[in-house]
Amino acid sequence: MATKKIKITNLPKLFEDLKKSGKTIIAPKQKGAKVYFAPVEHFDQVAPSYIQTVLSAKSVAFPRVEELFRYEIKEKEIIQKDNYTKIPEIVIFGLRPCDAASFEYMKEFFLKENPDVHFKKRMDNATLITVSCSESDESCFCTSVGLSPSSTKGSDIVLTNIGNGNMYVEVLTEKGDNIINANTSLFEESETIDKEPFVAKLTSRFDLNTVLEKIQTSYDNPEWQKNSYACIGCGACAFSCPTCSCFDIQDEQRENGGVRLRLWDTCGQQLFTVHASGHNPRHVQSQRWKHRILHKFKYSVDNLDMVSCVGCGRCIRVCPADMNIIEQIVNLVEV
Amino acid sequence: MFKEKIEKLLGEGKVNIMIGYTESTGGQVRVFFTGLSQESNEFVFDDRCVQNLAVYVNKPEIKAIGKIGIVANLSTVKALLQLASESQIKDGQVIALAMNENNVIELDTFAKMEEFVANPHKSANDEATKKIQEILNMSREKRWEYWTNELSSCIKCYACRSACPMCYCTQCTVDCNQPQWIPVASHHQGNMEWHILRAMHLAGRCVGCGECSRACPVDIPISLLSFMLNDHIKDEFGQVAGTKATLDYALSSFKVEDKENFMR
Repeated sequence: MATKKIKITNLPKLFEDLKKSGKTIIAPKQKGAKVYFAPVEHFDQVAPSYIQTVLSAKSVAFPRVEELFRYEIKEKEIIQKDNYTKIPEIVIFGLRPCDAASFEYMKEFFLKENPDVHFKKRMDNATLITVSCSESDESCFCTSVGLSPSSTKGSDIVLTNIGNGNMYVEVLTEKGDNIINANTSLFEESETIDKEPFVAKLTSRFDLNTVLEKIQTSYDNPEWQKNSYACIGCGACAFSCPTCSCFDIQDEQRENGGVRLRLWDTCGQQLFTVHASGHNPRHVQSQRWKHRILHKFKYSVDNLDMVSCVGCGRCIRVCPADMNIIEQIVNLVEV
Repeated sequence: MFKEKIEKLLGEGKVNIMIGYTESTGGQVRVFFTGLSQESNEFVFDDRCVQNLAVYVNKPEIKAIGKIGIVANLSTVKALLQLASESQIKDGQVIALAMNENNVIELDTFAKMEEFVANPHKSANDEATKKIQEILNMSREKRWEYWTNELSSCIKCYACRSACPMCYCTQCTVDCNQPQWIPVASHHQGNMEWHILRAMHLAGRCVGCGECSRACPVDIPISLLSFMLNDHIKDEFGQVAGTKATLDYALSSFKVEDKENFMR
């Protein structure tokens, strides 16, 4: 791993150069009272301060509407057209270490068996420039799920503000190298620096190993029902979640053809598991809520050997009923 | 204040579950459920308690517990009345505890709820009224641009629908795929059609709690559409949602003296 430094005053120039080389930059941008990932042209469009964006950066590789293919119907023949839209070269700037780590899970999910061509193309074209967290809020819990405010997992480059107008630069992958090599004049050499004094201090909220152990036998725990009375069954948690990867396939058909789309879906909604017969194996909300938590802390561990929660806290911040995954997990472990 | 009332209702078996608000984190409040009187001291009720708890009245797991008691703000009582007028709850099925000046009052009949709503209350929607006026002053094109822009951020999580006490259908039109009325995708057309459809379905039924806007994770002021349509229903038919337990809903009833003659 190479280590460098960059002056914050050089970041606008870096943005300019990235734009010149034809890259689309996605960065946290202020909109009203909140911050969202959005395309930016200049560095001054990046939100000056934010703990976390409302929605995650997953849409870069897993958009909420993905056109899989188009098709044409000619008499009795159906002609499939892989009319795949050109995927831009994207740089995600300013995502948090939890979000970068989420892509490690997403890659495992989409690419491990039967690699998903759409996800792969988008991921291959994306470079992740993470910025370590200098502050956190009470919804943050990355340190409880094995990450940290300065974790490098999943990132191509990690920037950490080390004061005096300088960012410490960790270059972790070839994609990261490419960015540095194309803009060498903007970076200075740097020795390895201990980042800890410069990043947010976040106390762990629960012991992950205990949770992973206790959750094995939690299926029939009556707490699930009690704890989920408040859940109104929307998809805000899943849609803002960086690792919720479930999708729905829909055809939009006109007379002579149509388009097949992949759309975000969520286990929190009743429709998710309804069978054609009308029977719903998860017929009440507590079962749906339980499924979502079990997926994060049990099923993904069983299937992919990874906890699929990165502790970003978005589900807590967006929930209209103030369901708090940290409290719920703590409660589950205590009972 | 609430504590004694709640303990009494639960103790006497008048209700089996009490829905109210409790302290949450960061100075917020959240919904709280209890069927045990000793837990009732955790209930709070103040200006922060804006969530319309009537949304839980028809939730199957809560309904199954038995008779429901609910700590109610004005919008909650209105929603209960509107649910009553749409035959979704029966008189006496839900007991609301509301604040009248500084007293906790027990609204155990629809008649009492009607009386409570009819009393003067301070308007909570001044800001919305201002925003609506601002939107109405826009040209048609500007208005379309405004909503196109706002609705473009919709991710179709349906938090607006889930948080709405009046969106109680067990199968929503958007969840119907044979035929598919509304595109499922959260693209331009899908978002436009969904929000226009929802606004139409709530026209004159919306109780004005603003829960849809509050629930929206991406801050779309979606309640304004319903508020605007409410104004139309009031002007055209003189109906106001959430005021009476019996109502011939303007958009689903026909009278021979109706001035429009397209149905004759």
